[in-house]
Amino acid sequence: MAVPLIFKTIEESGISTWIRDSPSFFAYWFILSFHALGMGLLVGASVVIDLRILGVARDLPLAPLKGLYGIMWAGFWIQVASGSLLLVAYPTKAFTNPDFYIKLTLIGLAVGAMHKLNKRVFSDSSLSESGMMMKGRALAVWSLVFWTGAVTAGRLLAYTYNYLKYDYRG
Amino acid sequence: MNLAHVHLLLNHWPIIGTFIGLGLFLVSLAANVDDLKQVSLGLFSLIALSAIPTYMSGNGAQEAIKESPGVSMAMIETHQGAALLAVIFMEITGAVSLIALWRFSRTVKNPRLSRPARLNLSAVLALAVVTSGLMAIAGNTGGNIRHPEILSGQEETSIAGAAGAALIASIHHFVIDSSMWVWPILEDLHFIGLILLLGTVGVVNLRILGFFKQLPLAPLHRFIAWGIAGFAVNVITGLLFYLGMPDFYIMNVVFQLKLFTIMLAGAILMLFYCTGAFRALGQLGPGEDAPRFAKFIAASSIVLWIAVIILGRYIPFGEVT
Repeated sequence: MAVPLIFKTIEESGISTWIRDSPSFFAYWFILSFHALGMGLLVGASVVIDLRILGVARDLPLAPLKGLYGIMWAGFWIQVASGSLLLVAYPTKAFTNPDFYIKLTLIGLAVGAMHKLNKRVFSDSSLSESGMMMKGRALAVWSLVFWTGAVTAGRLLAYTYNYLKYDYRG
Repeated sequence: MNLAHVHLLLNHWPIIGTFIGLGLFLVSLAANVDDLKQVSLGLFSLIALSAIPTYMSGNGAQEAIKESPGVSMAMIETHQGAALLAVIFMEITGAVSLIALWRFSRTVKNPRLSRPARLNLSAVLALAVVTSGLMAIAGNTGGNIRHPEILSGQEETSIAGAAGAALIASIHHFVIDSSMWVWPILEDLHFIGLILLLGTVGVVNLRILGFFKQLPLAPLHRFIAWGIAGFAVNVITGLLFYLGMPDFYIMNVVFQLKLFTIMLAGAILMLFYCTGAFRALGQLGPGEDAPRFAKFIAASSIVLWIAVIILGRYIPFGEVT
């Protein structure tokens, strides 16, 4: 597979080299730890919403959980920012790995399911609690499935890449 | 201070603590005092936490003394095996105790249902008895390493020690050599455990701090069971990582800090459940404000768990080369 030359240009840029090779406390591992924290917020908030829709903590009023979407989106933007920086550090590593595209697709599907859940269930004030649970059930299940897949695909990126850098490709 | 010091500092507590916990628990059951039951259960959970760094510091102590004259590797391996079995049973005891504690903390309208089932408490009792026995063996075999004066002639052998040593070898083989996919799958499970823990503990703590105020606390607290499950997954997968590559972790300062932070978070949580601070919270209805002490606990819990996640991600940064 031909790897676009632009990846080499990015890898040779100052910021890319700094993130990758700097011994600084605030370089690669700092960004990676925020990527883990952002995941915890994004997926953790989604999972709590999904579990409640599926009947965990049934006595808990469902409508106020809409507030968790704020945490979810905060986590999402942390992921976009930290993920972009990781891409700047290792573009060849990510874009030459099919698993990376699987991960992005699953994240898109999971976020889409959560967004739909918000629009169809939480924003429809005519629904009763049991109505919300019934209407949201399928979306909650799909969201859990997609999130599990996205986290798994993301975790496996560290073990499935073909080339670490442009210059190391076969 | 090296890890041999740390091991000596820690290693008497889980053994003595288990005996004291068992005694206390027996008294609480005989006298049927709920407060005392909760204290014993909290004690078991705390010992289960502290047993983890105690076991791990043993690898460091081994490094420090293995070259010394009169120290037998066979005795160290016997002790390590017995210690691992004691840790495994202590973790199970701690987990079952935590479930019982969580049941105590539920404030269901029917008071009969808000207490742990008899089966749950019987399980804790049986496990604590077995763990006490294993702790005694771990203590004895450990004492033999540095106190040859208490030995009668030949080196003593221990069935538990030998079984545990074989278990350590087979776990190491499973994690490292059996398949290249075991480690990534364990990592994946460790991340899923993280999500369950942060999501559920986070939402409960945020509510105590005053966010999402329309949510009543008692039903929200149901989610903590999922957090405990996530934490259990992470203790198991974490121990497997450690048994796979003990040398990678034990001298790593970031890893040591992470463990210390988990201990701190656990201790604060136990304090919260056992001081009655939680019981006042159980009544917290929609729109009501939590007491200041509870807010302090909730804020420290959030900060500490986030620190645990960040430190965990930094472990490779702290690798000793």
